[in-house]
Amino acid sequence: MKEFVLYTGCTTPVRLPAYEAAVTVVLEKLGVRLIPMKDVNCCGAQYIESLSHTAFAAMSGRILAIAESMDRDILAICGACSGSLKAVKHDLDSNKVLRAEVNELLADEGLKYTGTVEVKHLLQIFNEDIGYDAIKAAIVKPYHGVRLAAHYGCHVTRPPEIVHVDDPENPVIIDTIIEAAGATPVDYVGKTRCCGGPMLAMDEEVANKIGLDKIKNIRDEKADGIVTACVFCDIQLTQVQFGDMAGDEPKIPVLTLPQFLGPAMGINFDSLGIQLNKIDPQAILQEM
Amino acid sequence: MSHDEVKQQPPINHAPSSNFAKEVEQEFYGDGIMKCIQCGMCTASCMVASMTERYRPRMLIQKILLGKREEVLSSELPWLCMTCRLCEERCQEDVNLSEIFHAVREIAAREGYIPQVFRNTINKVLEDGWLLNDAYTDFVEDDRSDLGLDPKLSWNNDFVKKIKKRYFEGVTKK
Ligand code: SF4
Ligand code: SF4
Repeated sequence: MKEFVLYTGCTTPVRLPAYEAAVTVVLEKLGVRLIPMKDVNCCGAQYIESLSHTAFAAMSGRILAIAESMDRDILAICGACSGSLKAVKHDLDSNKVLRAEVNELLADEGLKYTGTVEVKHLLQIFNEDIGYDAIKAAIVKPYHGVRLAAHYGCHVTRPPEIVHVDDPENPVIIDTIIEAAGATPVDYVGKTRCCGGPMLAMDEEVANKIGLDKIKNIRDEKADGIVTACVFCDIQLTQVQFGDMAGDEPKIPVLTLPQFLGPAMGINFDSLGIQLNKIDPQAILQEM
Repeated sequence: MSHDEVKQQPPINHAPSSNFAKEVEQEFYGDGIMKCIQCGMCTASCMVASMTERYRPRMLIQKILLGKREEVLSSELPWLCMTCRLCEERCQEDVNLSEIFHAVREIAAREGYIPQVFRNTINKVLEDGWLLNDAYTDFVEDDRSDLGLDPKLSWNNDFVKKIKKRYFEGVTKK
């Protein structure tokens, strides 16, 4: 059984614990065991990152060094975290001065960054470590006639030369998994555009307009649901549908990728936290 | 009209009004700025620009190139990029806009220009070690238990204290 340490990031454990639970059970069933990380800190994305590149490198660097001490590669399930950890790993591997400064800060705790661990986003685990054949083989209750829109998340696929996940202009991993589980992936205008989540801090109205524009494009293709691979995207694409600007069209259920895959693998809804979803996905889950 | 009658216009000065672009170039990943040819592809692909007239990434790059240092640093512009990097995929000159705007934010922060929402969040992170300490209620703990997850979250807040002391003393006050 392959093992990874799981870096949940700040948001998932509090705002979307069902994602954490679903990832853990689905991967376990596909032969990947996750070991929780203890005593970690925020990766520094967006906020610390904007003020001091060095402080940002130290915060993400500490997470990388803890994974090294646990002797396992890291799985990150949040787009921002996976992006940060990968970018900082790239910097620490190519910039000796920065690495020395970060290691000086880590030395008090007996930690050291040497560059031995890899950082993977969830999509890479499915694509590289499990593979589509094994996913197909694990499907016991395939979906029928459900149309689903994949939303990849900006920091999951960009910048491609650092994150190495999928084609940034035409990503396929989520769509391939949707198909493997028997459902129909649908394309839509602006598929690789942002959910608007990172804009919430500076301008909520603009952030929500961006999110709703995506919902509209997905609705235009008559999709039954949206499948996500980042906690921020999942929350943003859900919450914009409840806002003042949302209108009264029926809401489109949003599912994290493991929550979509789990039921088709015969995993019960409770352990996937389906009951916690703010937009009831029953309409999708019935079609099996 | 003979040539002699053409009035001599004062020469237009195309030189930047400060060496701001050079300054940005010196920061982490700020070095791509000189590659910009002002084609506007970034603005065309930017969702923020499509939803508000306050923000145009090409124009922001232009302001930096023209040396409008104070105007840029004291404005909200560098903070309106949501770093989605869609423009970077489209830019034919490989300009890393989101990194350049991060570099500008670093300079702005050193001079005390930090949007209040960033200030507040950063102060929280540097105190608690993570973002959502205040949002972690008993309800969420119960949800985690029901899901079979550990209800005790063990975030480290010692390391951020060191970070705060070394990199942020004085910067985020207010
Ligand atoms: S797309 Fe690139 S070259 Fe064109 S204006 Fe934007 S940054 Fe400059
Ligand atoms: S990275 Fe910034 S400037 Fe570029 S498209 Fe995204 S929000 Fe606009």
